[in-house]
Amino acid sequence: MFQVAKATFLRNTLVMLRAYPWSFVIGHILAGVYTVLFAYFAYTHVFAGQLDDRFVRYAGSADYLSYVILGGAFYSFAVSTLMNVSRSLITELREGTLEAMLLTPSSRKGYFLGNVTQQLMRTLFEFSVILLVGRLFGLNLAGADVWSAAAVWLLSTGAFFCQALVLGSVMLRFRDTYITQNTLFVLMAFLSGVTYPTAYLPEWLQPLSQLLPLTPALEAFRHSAILGQPLSASAPQLMHMAILSAVYVAVGAVGIRRMEKRVLESIFG
Amino acid sequence: MNEWMSLLWAEIKKEHRHSFHSSLVYFSLLIWPVVMFVTAYYSFAPFRMGADSPLARFVAPGQLPLFLLTGYLGYIFFWCLVQSAWQMSFERQAGTMEMIFISPVNRLAFVYGRSLSALVEGVWLFFCFTLLAMAFVGGIHVSGWWAVPLAFLILLVSAVVWGGFLSVLFLFSRDAGFLYTVLDEPMLIFSGVRLPPLAFPFWAKLISLCFPLTYALHMVRALLMEGAELGDLWQELGLLAGVLVLLVTASVFLLKRAERHMKRTGSMVLY
Repeated sequence: MFQVAKATFLRNTLVMLRAYPWSFVIGHILAGVYTVLFAYFAYTHVFAGQLDDRFVRYAGSADYLSYVILGGAFYSFAVSTLMNVSRSLITELREGTLEAMLLTPSSRKGYFLGNVTQQLMRTLFEFSVILLVGRLFGLNLAGADVWSAAAVWLLSTGAFFCQALVLGSVMLRFRDTYITQNTLFVLMAFLSGVTYPTAYLPEWLQPLSQLLPLTPALEAFRHSAILGQPLSASAPQLMHMAILSAVYVAVGAVGIRRMEKRVLESIFG
Repeated sequence: MNEWMSLLWAEIKKEHRHSFHSSLVYFSLLIWPVVMFVTAYYSFAPFRMGADSPLARFVAPGQLPLFLLTGYLGYIFFWCLVQSAWQMSFERQAGTMEMIFISPVNRLAFVYGRSLSALVEGVWLFFCFTLLAMAFVGGIHVSGWWAVPLAFLILLVSAVVWGGFLSVLFLFSRDAGFLYTVLDEPMLIFSGVRLPPLAFPFWAKLISLCFPLTYALHMVRALLMEGAELGDLWQELGLLAGVLVLLVTASVFLLKRAERHMKRTGSMVLY
């Protein structure tokens, strides 16, 4: 399994460096940077720093810029993980390597492990750049509990990976990446509390936001990074993520197996 | 001229069939703008609103939903015409770009045909927008029936020219996705889709002047929200026309350079 993981890691890194050196990495960084810019313009220039009274109650802090900048950075990280993992199989299909891969006795777990490790390296770089830019526009991490924030970040990778398995099987089912992924991403930006607390949403929509791992992940990350709370303070959010991950991984594993079979039968005959 | 038109039509048909092959595409074109609009609306929730809010200096509080809706209409309108430009990379992958440039096809017809391929979707989008605005948002104030088709025409012409310009830029790079990200998102921030450009600092105002969407949105909002007469808009129309002529000239110039560049570097095919 580890050999397959290592080979996938090396292959993906080479592809990223040689074939598509800029697209996704720069794209995800810029998407995060633009969220930072929007928050800065809105807060400083349009609203002159005047917040709604409920914001402090809902967010637990009056630091709007840090709230949104971390939201934007974490959203980019989630999108990046979901895209890199879920698109892997359909990219193999498009580039003509899926049949060869399915025919080999290589471990599928190793393949996904290699994918996720390679994208961890990528997302860590993207996330750090967004935070650096965020510092210029008002991100304040003076009171952050760094270790607890790093732990939430790692655990979130796991949760997004599980969600990506479901997304990947849906993509293979419809042989489409574009509409599927973008519909999910606009819904995540709307429902997960990226630029505003979910408490602002109508009550009937709030249960929907709880189905997305990004919602508890963001809450836990903000607890550690803005409020400086230890990991134990985010226990409910971590438990929430664990339950969602278990459900997603179960559905995703079955989905991927079924789709592989379907692809083998219907596409390669 | 006939040949030019038939080439343009052929490219429109080809690209339309390629990109809008299922009803899901139309569905997404309706769902995405609506969700993005609602998200933008809620992004204002953490701020102090009301008649004495700092926002009232730029947008009347009651007009915020229509301000955002017109902003997203303009953005998605541009975006769906620009999509076909971005998808130029597929021509490279499929090996058809080489065929197109070997043939004596008029390059400009090819480029603007790609842009225009999303015309039907643009009409559909505009129709949905008008229904949404009338049913849920309200606040539309026009001085005559002609204001609605004129707003549509302003968006269409500027989006087609912008889409054509981007198509030409994308010819230079194998990695078109990168250029798309660099040029698309700043348009969302600086063109006044979500925030009024008047509130921006000087350097950001300068950037906003580079996007035709800024001028187009200004006029669309004047036509649909402020009931502007045609006579009030001559100056803005002249400015937009100037920017568009500049973009067309740049497209013609860059198109020749891009073709020379691709022939020299052999980058007409991906592999």
